[in-house]
Amino acid sequence: MTFHTIVCIKAVVARAPQGRIVRTTDNSCFNPFDRVALEAALQLKAHTGGRVTVLSMGPPACEVVMAEALAMGADRAVLACDPAFAGADTLATSTTLAAAIETMAPYDLVLFGTRTADSDTGQVGPQTAVALNIPIITGVHQFTCMEDRLEVERTMDHLVESFAVDFPAALTIRPGALQSRDIGLRGLAEAFDDRQVERLQLADLTLSCAQVGEAGSPTRVVSMRPLRQNRQGQFLQGEPADLADKLIQQWTEKGLLD
Amino acid sequence: MDKLLADKHIAVRRSVRAFCERELRPIAAEIDQEARFPWEIFEKMGALGYFGIQVPQALGGAGLDAISYAIIIEEISRVCGAMGLCVTVHNSVAVYPLMAFGSAQQKDRWVRPMAKGDKIGAFCLTEPNAGSDAGAISATAIADGDHYILNANKVFVTNGGVADICLIFARTDPAAGRKGISVVVAERGAPGFVVGDLEDLCGMRANPVSSIRLYDCRVPRENLVGKTGQGLQIGMAALDTGRMGIAAQAVGIAQAALEEATQYAKQRRTFGVTIENHQAIQMMIADMATQVAAARLMVYRAAELSTRKLAFSQESAMAKLFASEVACKVADMAVQIHGGYGYSKAYAVERIYRDARVTRIYEGTSEIHKMVIARSVIQNS
Repeated sequence: MTFHTIVCIKAVVARAPQGRIVRTTDNSCFNPFDRVALEAALQLKAHTGGRVTVLSMGPPACEVVMAEALAMGADRAVLACDPAFAGADTLATSTTLAAAIETMAPYDLVLFGTRTADSDTGQVGPQTAVALNIPIITGVHQFTCMEDRLEVERTMDHLVESFAVDFPAALTIRPGALQSRDIGLRGLAEAFDDRQVERLQLADLTLSCAQVGEAGSPTRVVSMRPLRQNRQGQFLQGEPADLADKLIQQWTEKGLLD
Repeated sequence: MDKLLADKHIAVRRSVRAFCERELRPIAAEIDQEARFPWEIFEKMGALGYFGIQVPQALGGAGLDAISYAIIIEEISRVCGAMGLCVTVHNSVAVYPLMAFGSAQQKDRWVRPMAKGDKIGAFCLTEPNAGSDAGAISATAIADGDHYILNANKVFVTNGGVADICLIFARTDPAAGRKGISVVVAERGAPGFVVGDLEDLCGMRANPVSSIRLYDCRVPRENLVGKTGQGLQIGMAALDTGRMGIAAQAVGIAQAALEEATQYAKQRRTFGVTIENHQAIQMMIADMATQVAAARLMVYRAAELSTRKLAFSQESAMAKLFASEVACKVADMAVQIHGGYGYSKAYAVERIYRDARVTRIYEGTSEIHKMVIARSVIQNS
């Protein structure tokens, strides 16, 4: 059986002028944190072979991002797309992704970005792993596939933690771990002209209406408003050495320094 | 505009913009000042398929359509006019004529490495006394057994300083006037192939524009592209495509000017407010944005006609004429909005202003384009 990596990606909202979110193709872009996860999967494939599937949940406008993932080198793109999935919070999203991943079994590795550039919760990776009942390690900066296990390193609180994990496993990949590749023109032409983004609907999953979308979401976004932070200049007076001490004290109080 | 584009074109714009912002933006001012061709960027662009945009995938190209091509040139030029120029000239007036008129063997020999960016192409028509009047060239390609002996002094050759494969317009039959002009490929390194000094130009300075001189340069007869006497026809067909590229380049330059001016207007304060609040500035920004949008639509129209394999000569001439004039006007207004700072190399609009100017001159001046358009309109009326 070839090694199968599934990378969960999101088409994030690029701009929300006046706080309004409109999900159109030209306003959806590849979550930069997920691009790093896909890069990790593609580098793993180049090294050890196997295949890479990208998976997302979202409206049809997300297809452009799925095609970009194909252009980067993914073998297959699957979009969970159904009106019933609308309004999902991170739990309903994770439930849906996990059910979609089950349809693609067997799989060895599930990769996520650490978070998204629009909602920024960082919850979907861990919640999906829990739903799948597989181990997860977050914030990974390096991993190596051995014959029967995965060796993983992550940096937390100035410590490098090393793990050995059995397959299948899930990882979230630290953004600075890799530089994701540029998308070549030929890949784009092939992705859009010759290849298809597959769709999964609710009926394809072993889930009920109550588990997905708004119905399956215990949390609600009640409202959103843009926040303006007023920047203020402040003049400190005194001798340079005292000023330096004052600055360090202020920065420390604000948590800017360790 | 992007809302009206196909998903593929949106993705093409996004990928090229991301690359140019990360790789080209940080060095654009420096390579302009140093008049340095950025080989490091060139190689990356080659790997990404920028040098075979419309070349079929079977020949190693990206296999994209004309709107993608226009968008790519627009996006590169938005960040660096000189590299936009390098890419458009290579794709349009060097690769295209070989694709349209070359033999299968020529495509395999030249287009394949050109599409990967392993070899750079150049179009050598202009001479000291022949530019707009292309039929007045004096270069010769005289048959001698299995070879042509080329003698030519080609000037203002875009990419000239780095070009490997040069399409030389020369007289194979000096007595036959305009019908005696043919296209023969001369490759860098051939005996008698000399690259002249780089031109010290006002704008587009990172492009190694140079003269190419051929002194009794012997090339095999199979280097003839198309048929003997077909030179001007090939040249005009190449320029139809080339004009679209220059028009797209002009749109990119104009877009850059608009963005720089708008950003500056939001920061610069006079009379107690940022200058975006002054009606005089708003009038200019409205004019700039409207003209850039109109020019972009004209370019995409010509590109779409080309993709559908419909006649687009008149439309590409109109797009080139309009977009190049717009680029100059918009760059001028961007400098005006910047005031004295716009005349300083500290701000990007100074480079944009210099880069814009040549778009009204090369690949056919505005005046020649008006002749082409007028003839077409009158003939079809």
